Amino acid sequence: MAKKQSLAQYVANTQVWKSIFRHGPPNNARNRAAVIAGNVFLHLHPIKLKRSGVQLGYTWCMGGLTFFVFLSLTVTGVLLMFYYRPTAEYAFNDIIALREHVPLGIMRELHRWGAHLMVITVWLHMFRVFMTGSYKPPREFNWGVGVVLLVLTLLLSFTGYLLPWDQLAIWAIAVGSNMAKATPFLGHGGPGANLAQIGDFVMVSDKNDVRYQLLGGRFVGEPALLRFYILHCVFIPLVVGLLIAVHFWRVRKDGGISAPL
Amino acid sequence: MKELVNTLSDPKYSFTGVIIGFYLFMKYYRTIGTVKFFISSMIIILGVFIWMMQDPNFHAIIVWPDNVPIVILLFAVIFFTWFSIYKAAINDARIEGGETPVEGSVENREKVWTWPNLVYTELMAGTLCVVILVIWSIFLKAPLEEPANPTWAPNPAKAPWYFLGLQEMLVYFDPWMAGVVLPGLIIVGLIAIPYIDTNPKGNGYYTMAERKVAMGGFLFGWLALWVYLIIIGTFLRGPNWTFYGPFEVWDFHKVVAEANVNLSEFFWIKGLGISMPSNIFLREIVGLIVTTGYYVGLTLLCNRSQLGSSLMKSLGKIRYYLLILLLLTMGLLPVKMYLRWLFNLKYLVAMPEFEFNL
Amino acid sequence: MHKHGLHRRAFFGWLTVGWVAFSAALGGFLSLVFRYTYPNVNFDPEMDFIAGNPDDYDEGVDERWKNGYGVWIIKQEGKLVALSNICTHLGCIPNWLPAELKFKCPCHGSGYYMNGVNFEGPAPRPLERYKISLNSEGRVVVDKTKIFRYEKGQWDHPDSFIEV
Repeated sequence: MAKKQSLAQYVANTQVWKSIFRHGPPNNARNRAAVIAGNVFLHLHPIKLKRSGVQLGYTWCMGGLTFFVFLSLTVTGVLLMFYYRPTAEYAFNDIIALREHVPLGIMRELHRWGAHLMVITVWLHMFRVFMTGSYKPPREFNWGVGVVLLVLTLLLSFTGYLLPWDQLAIWAIAVGSNMAKATPFLGHGGPGANLAQIGDFVMVSDKNDVRYQLLGGRFVGEPALLRFYILHCVFIPLVVGLLIAVHFWRVRKDGGISAPL
Repeated sequence: MKELVNTLSDPKYSFTGVIIGFYLFMKYYRTIGTVKFFISSMIIILGVFIWMMQDPNFHAIIVWPDNVPIVILLFAVIFFTWFSIYKAAINDARIEGGETPVEGSVENREKVWTWPNLVYTELMAGTLCVVILVIWSIFLKAPLEEPANPTWAPNPAKAPWYFLGLQEMLVYFDPWMAGVVLPGLIIVGLIAIPYIDTNPKGNGYYTMAERKVAMGGFLFGWLALWVYLIIIGTFLRGPNWTFYGPFEVWDFHKVVAEANVNLSEFFWIKGLGISMPSNIFLREIVGLIVTTGYYVGLTLLCNRSQLGSSLMKSLGKIRYYLLILLLLTMGLLPVKMYLRWLFNLKYLVAMPEFEFNL
Repeated sequence: MHKHGLHRRAFFGWLTVGWVAFSAALGGFLSLVFRYTYPNVNFDPEMDFIAGNPDDYDEGVDERWKNGYGVWIIKQEGKLVALSNICTHLGCIPNWLPAELKFKCPCHGSGYYMNGVNFEGPAPRPLERYKISLNSEGRVVVDKTKIFRYEKGQWDHPDSFIEV
């Protein structure tokens, strides 16, 4: 009579389980290495790392949290897209409906507060990296990638600000996009713009400057709403995703989480 | 008492306070970086905060849903600034005693398995994060105002909180400076940090003593300018973007006598008592000279100082001048702020004909 | 030397031509993509409108066309002018404060006198005037496509006001 197996042992011995997890439980050196190296998500990590790199007191876990919040923002954002239409006619009402008529009326809250949280964690991550001098060689390039990611995070949040199509939204964007108008030479209200004038023909006007490109029009209207929606939901997240991959890859290639040389 | 707090939070006093505080912070960081100091100052800060929350006007600003993240950020910044100083103070004492920093100790250099050490930490941090987010979302509704109306601007009309530092800068600078050039230089300057800072020390551990210049420059920009301006823009700017003390009612009709004068008017009309010349460049000659003098003169002064010449030697010319350029441009902001408060100066160089105002 | 095929010099010549052509094609395509982001047609709100009769207006600031058209009609010193309600600082909409006789912008606190000239806050220049005229029936017509700027000396232009 064979020894009676526990249910867990039985499951772990089925062909299905073994086809998914190709190693035993990670309680010995070999399997601990295998679980990190064999899993596409976990293999972002090295198999072993210096003790200082796992201490909350050193890393504050802010970079990891930022990535985690970014993922949850992606999920809640995709879910919000089920109920939201980016047109001047529907946008505001759809936002109200998200609170009043849609089950689990906190999806928008999760997304908005998550966005604020991400800005905070990105800032604190950068602050930590500065305070530990982790931008120093060989990590100079990755610090630059990080700064670009910080700017993109702010832009993501900024483009998302317009989507509720309420007063807060359009006036925040009106002020923001009018700064683009003041770009030297490229915006029609910026220094140098009226030097580019041949007779009566104005080369940089409100119909061809950077603000016009950003808004798809001369003021914050429906084309701007659509553009910001696309930037917010597709374009910037794609770029951010790409740069996050570069960022993580370089953390590994530059020698892992920084530690004294 | 409340009157006094209202008066003292006016940027011209509070910013001066911040600068003095920052100097003391850099000088006495070892005292500040102790647990005793943290606990006693947290008791004071929390006590003052609770006392301030008793006031209906202050309470109303703080609990406005979009301001909650800033309150969280502020406490996080206070804590993490202290915490990194605390760790730096420990390391600095160790280094002086000839030891390695804590991060470099034999125990910490030892390699550990990612599973379970790091994976477990990540799981816990992620779970905690979700819990906080869900609780936050249940208790605070995301703000939503009236439907968009392009013909009527709410008062005050504020940008998202993380841009309020920029919006506050707009009070002192023309949009092309505050909205384009300065943010652009912030980004470029941040990216340039690792290429300017050639100090090999302090790589991978908390320290203050080994990299005082880098710390001073970065922390001043981050704490005394960026975070401070966000606080002002969020809590102390009310209708018409007028300054309101923390206990003041946001009265739409608060009248502030504020007539700002350009440097050219100061010089030609008030100074010389004649009308302004019609040639634009002649009219703005003083402002142009002052601005050039600010950059060139201060650079020369830096070159002569002891710190400047030693930096020049260690960094090389390109890095050194780039550093000076970035620091002087950063310094333009406080300089412009004080000029506005003390002399109601509007622009140093005012050429609306070319949309060029400085 | 090669017996047949390309000579060394000719090869590099063709290589250069190839790279130049490739870069030009790529650059041309990218600039068209850039142009793509600028729409050819967009739907602006009405740019001109009839604003009643000249004697509809009392001395001072009239706000009836502010919502909808974004124009204040101001009667002052025997002149009727159409003042834009877009702040010259960052494009917010200032409020008219009758008690203090000034326009005040909520975004950054720019202030303007009743005639539109800036005097406080960060506004770099006065508010803009629109073209204002009388049509054949004696009604006031405001045309927002034509603007007049004070600092360029355009406020003396006969199209920028009506004598009343």
